[in-house]
Amino acid sequence: MNMNRRDFIKANAVIAAAGAAGLALPASASNLITSSEQTKLEWNKAPCRFCGTGCSVIVATRDGKVVATHGDANSEVNRGLNCIKGYFLSKIMYGSDRLTTPMLRMTDGKYDKHGEFTPISWDSAFDIMAQKWKETLKAKGPTAVGMFGSGQWTVWEGYAAVKLMKAGFGSNNIDPNARHCMASAVVGFMRTFGIDEPMGCYDDMEAADAFVLWGSNMAEMHPILWTRVTDRRLSASHVKVAVLSTFEHRSFDLADLPIVFTPQTDLAILNFIANYIIQNDKVNWDFVKKHVNFRQGTTDIGYGLRPTHPLEQKAKNVKTAGDSTPIDFDTFKAFVAEYTVEKVSKMSGVPEAKLIELAKLYADPNTKVTSFWTMGFNQHTRGVWCNNLIYNIHLLTGKISTPGNSPFSLTGQPSACGTAREVGTFSHRLPADMVVTNPEHRKHAEEIWKIPSGIIPPKPGYHAVEQNRRLKDGDLNCYWVQVNNNMQAGPNINEEGLPGYRNPANFIVVSDAYPTVTTQAADLILPTAMWVEKEGAYGNAERRTQFWHQMVQAPGESHSDLWQLMEFSKRFTTDEVWPKEVLAANPQFKGKTLFEVLYKNGNVDKFPLADTDPKYLNNEAKHFGFYVQKGLFEEYATFGRGHGHDLAPFDAYHEAHGLRWPVVNGKETQWRFREGADPYVKPGKGFEFYGHPDGRAVIFALPYEPPAESPDEEFDIWLSTGRVLEHWHSGSMTQRVPELYRAFPDAVCFMHPEDAKKRGLRRGDEVRVVSRRGEIKTRVETRGRNKPPVGLVFVPWFDASQLINKVTLDATDPLSKQTDFKKCAVKIVKV
Amino acid sequence: MKTFKLVSAFSALAFSALMITSVTAASIPEDKIDTLRQVPIDVEPTPPAMQAVLNKDIKEVRNYPMQPPVIPHKIDGYQLDLKVNKCMACHARQRTGDSQAPMVSVTHYMDRDNNFLAELSPRRYFCTQCHVPQLDAKLLVENDFVDMDHLIKANTVQKKH
Amino acid sequence: MLDKLKKIWQVLNRPSVHYSLGFLTLGGFVAGVIFWGGFNTALEATNQEAFCIGCHEMENNVYQELQSTIHFTNRSGVRATCPDCHVPHNWTDKIARKMQASKEVWGKVFGTINTREKFESKRRELAEHEWARLKANDSLECRNCHNFTYMDFTRQSPRAAQMHSTSLASGEKTCIDCHKGIAHHLPDMAGVEGF
Repeated sequence: MNMNRRDFIKANAVIAAAGAAGLALPASASNLITSSEQTKLEWNKAPCRFCGTGCSVIVATRDGKVVATHGDANSEVNRGLNCIKGYFLSKIMYGSDRLTTPMLRMTDGKYDKHGEFTPISWDSAFDIMAQKWKETLKAKGPTAVGMFGSGQWTVWEGYAAVKLMKAGFGSNNIDPNARHCMASAVVGFMRTFGIDEPMGCYDDMEAADAFVLWGSNMAEMHPILWTRVTDRRLSASHVKVAVLSTFEHRSFDLADLPIVFTPQTDLAILNFIANYIIQNDKVNWDFVKKHVNFRQGTTDIGYGLRPTHPLEQKAKNVKTAGDSTPIDFDTFKAFVAEYTVEKVSKMSGVPEAKLIELAKLYADPNTKVTSFWTMGFNQHTRGVWCNNLIYNIHLLTGKISTPGNSPFSLTGQPSACGTAREVGTFSHRLPADMVVTNPEHRKHAEEIWKIPSGIIPPKPGYHAVEQNRRLKDGDLNCYWVQVNNNMQAGPNINEEGLPGYRNPANFIVVSDAYPTVTTQAADLILPTAMWVEKEGAYGNAERRTQFWHQMVQAPGESHSDLWQLMEFSKRFTTDEVWPKEVLAANPQFKGKTLFEVLYKNGNVDKFPLADTDPKYLNNEAKHFGFYVQKGLFEEYATFGRGHGHDLAPFDAYHEAHGLRWPVVNGKETQWRFREGADPYVKPGKGFEFYGHPDGRAVIFALPYEPPAESPDEEFDIWLSTGRVLEHWHSGSMTQRVPELYRAFPDAVCFMHPEDAKKRGLRRGDEVRVVSRRGEIKTRVETRGRNKPPVGLVFVPWFDASQLINKVTLDATDPLSKQTDFKKCAVKIVKV
Repeated sequence: MKTFKLVSAFSALAFSALMITSVTAASIPEDKIDTLRQVPIDVEPTPPAMQAVLNKDIKEVRNYPMQPPVIPHKIDGYQLDLKVNKCMACHARQRTGDSQAPMVSVTHYMDRDNNFLAELSPRRYFCTQCHVPQLDAKLLVENDFVDMDHLIKANTVQKKH
Repeated sequence: MLDKLKKIWQVLNRPSVHYSLGFLTLGGFVAGVIFWGGFNTALEATNQEAFCIGCHEMENNVYQELQSTIHFTNRSGVRATCPDCHVPHNWTDKIARKMQASKEVWGKVFGTINTREKFESKRRELAEHEWARLKANDSLECRNCHNFTYMDFTRQSPRAAQMHSTSLASGEKTCIDCHKGIAHHLPDMAGVEGF
């Protein structure tokens, strides 16, 4: 095959645009099929199914099958790259155990909580669901039904679910698994800026002079963003990378400043840096005077455990945990003054010189700093505080909203931002940062949804951890789980999750593409279409909304979550679910089905089937007879347009490779809150944090407080849980891809060789990891990629046969209700 | 021979399709539903013994041309950090003469804007983000992914008839 | 001061008055044996891993790195300790290496590498000394255990067998040429042959 350079460049462009150039190129050999008509593949864009990075991939289909994927060269996010998981996306839908029919636990042809999973029709499945829901609603009211969703829902699925729960059933008991992932980041944003999601974007990485990772192993969890950090670090020799964690991991491979600290002392380190900046006169006064307020937060706020727990009874300010009072700079200065380098070095175990070197990165006005964090900060009983404290540092120095100066909260799920946060699938939220506790917000939502006022309840529903507790207590009885695996992912499943699901008073429905531990604990399993088996939209960590078309059909009788939600809504009339007095005042709604009032409301059914692109499949549009996705999206978008959350018109997203909101006059926004970059900042302001009425961000005085549980004599070692590169979350997709499975087949207990020796253990030994709540069996790894210090072990949670969340503690941040999966006390015992 | 392969591939497909139907036709006890677990949730199974890395240096066929090849050998103790990239000691263009290892693909010399560089692109520095060794582990569940080649050939066969 | 030294010299210079020649010869011999034995015992004591990692510079850096490698734990439990690789086994070379080590004592006393950062900044230099030594002696300390004559290539991976049966067999390469960094982290390898 002779190619000149021009041909090569051309061919390369073909690879980028269409891939498979080798197959399509004319060749003379007779053993190859070279007719491009025959070797042609259909290529379309889609965001990756996995993490919050939001890489774009190009998907090849042929004869109704996905046959290949590669990184989208035209995507600003990943420019042609994927991580190992992304490269194997083609295979995630083809595990041979895909669920293909609804299955109900039955004995002798009847539903039985202890029966075997028996295939039934969709009709029968919805029949029993509707029966259970109606019985429960009648007996106990809307607080006894609930839903647990996900940051893996598409935008319109999350939106349809919120409508069904809050506007349909009149229940706020809907929460996403994103609660486990970035709820602390959300509350951090709301407290400091009054508006959710990062002000910066991924372009910060090419502009930064220093990167600081706070409890984030980007090398494994956000590999493509790590390629951008690596690119920057290795291309510009002045760039420094600091990595902070409670154990050494792969991100340390790029670290100029590696820091392993004692769990929980990140709070102290953050306050030390603020103190250093003040003591060394490095405060950006111009910025602070114009754009910042100071407040003192409430302390001694408990650990989000059950109210009966001694720690909750001991804590003084559980009820007022979120309160704060205004203070001045001098009070703040005095507050952080106690966090001296000597004291914090002692607390954290980090040498003084390293702490000072770290503080200098932030203090030096000529160093542009990007801070990244994920679960180390967010899964923390003081996670909101950690978020507030990192903003303190960036605000004190004015290092924010300008290219390279960026406090950046990363997300773990593909649409944690796009669906869970922006749509507001949390128990206290409504779309576009609105909350159910605010009467104005409820009124606004009811108007857009064209439902009578008084339907959305004012009281927040049960959050993720509370849902498991209420299931166990029998307060929550009908429960629908979609796109997540909470029996594996939720904390303390031995004491809360499993007894909750198996409580005889409860009926648990789980929608999933594959059988999981959660389906194992369910009563009814619904087979579900995934990823490119439906039309979808995700929003990534940099506010980028990305669409994809349906490319293939799901196997068997699988249907998308959207189809399931909307079909189920047909089973209810307003008379069965809405308050009598509301219906009496609004008789025009009487006798209507929820489907009619929620989805045939003139908004959602506004766009005819003819508006769909005939080139692509769209099962939902065909089934319901209108362009469902477009209708839902456009109704949803009215919440944010003109309020700082502007989304582009629906069709624009099928063309563009993602757009970052606010999209105003067709233009996306890279940096918010800065004049010239953000259309919402008024001229002459320079910066404006318009989430707060006075346009100012808040610096919070918040102290170090100890963790909920620390090692003692019996349970003598810290346990941190987390992920590995090759598996995404609970592994239900990646464990079914042979190459990914073989790369990391079973979970292990990473530990220091000396800790192993002390306990008479060696690599490969079978051990029990035991806490006060439960135990698992696993094997010792002393040589792996994670190198914990003496006194800490790390166990990943992707393995369905080693449920480490039997061991974890369900202590949460009292403000965000997010579990601390990074700290509890265990012992390691040889089997 | 080719036909035989094709036939066997299709029978394998048909067989797995059959398996699904047969699985869904009958009822499944609780502890057998989760293919990746196969024991009750409140029981702790014995973890399988740690598997060895497949270290045979035999290339595995890729699922599609753009798939990064898996690593057919051990990489224990291979240092990959700010100081050194051990992988490139064999796979860099200049080293392949001595090592006879495959050279990293040309894409690895391209930067974010698709310009070719003289050396490995820094964005591709950490090899293990895309390339992983394989352990000698027994699969818990098969994957029915179909190679595009099968589909294309099946199509050609059909057209000939 | 000078007077004192003169006096001592005079005493030493004067023939013995009180002791017989026989006693002096025998006594000298015994003293010599004791001294020699003591010297060797002391020397051997410094050849124990416990001695090496008695310095935190060694314990916190290279010893930590060693623990996750094949030379620390492996299938047969044959372990390499510090001196196995870093101290020559024949006496002359050993003494030569020990005299070199006096520089390391100097480093210890003056804290040349007493922090991780200082150690890292010296790592290339320290590694180069060891590579040069092993290159010069044809990887003698490796070969004390890994004897080429007894290598069974059929028990090696194809890649290892290929390299060992050609480059190593012909003497074109010695162990350290390919196996740098096998027991400790590598320094910045810019410009090192083979990297």
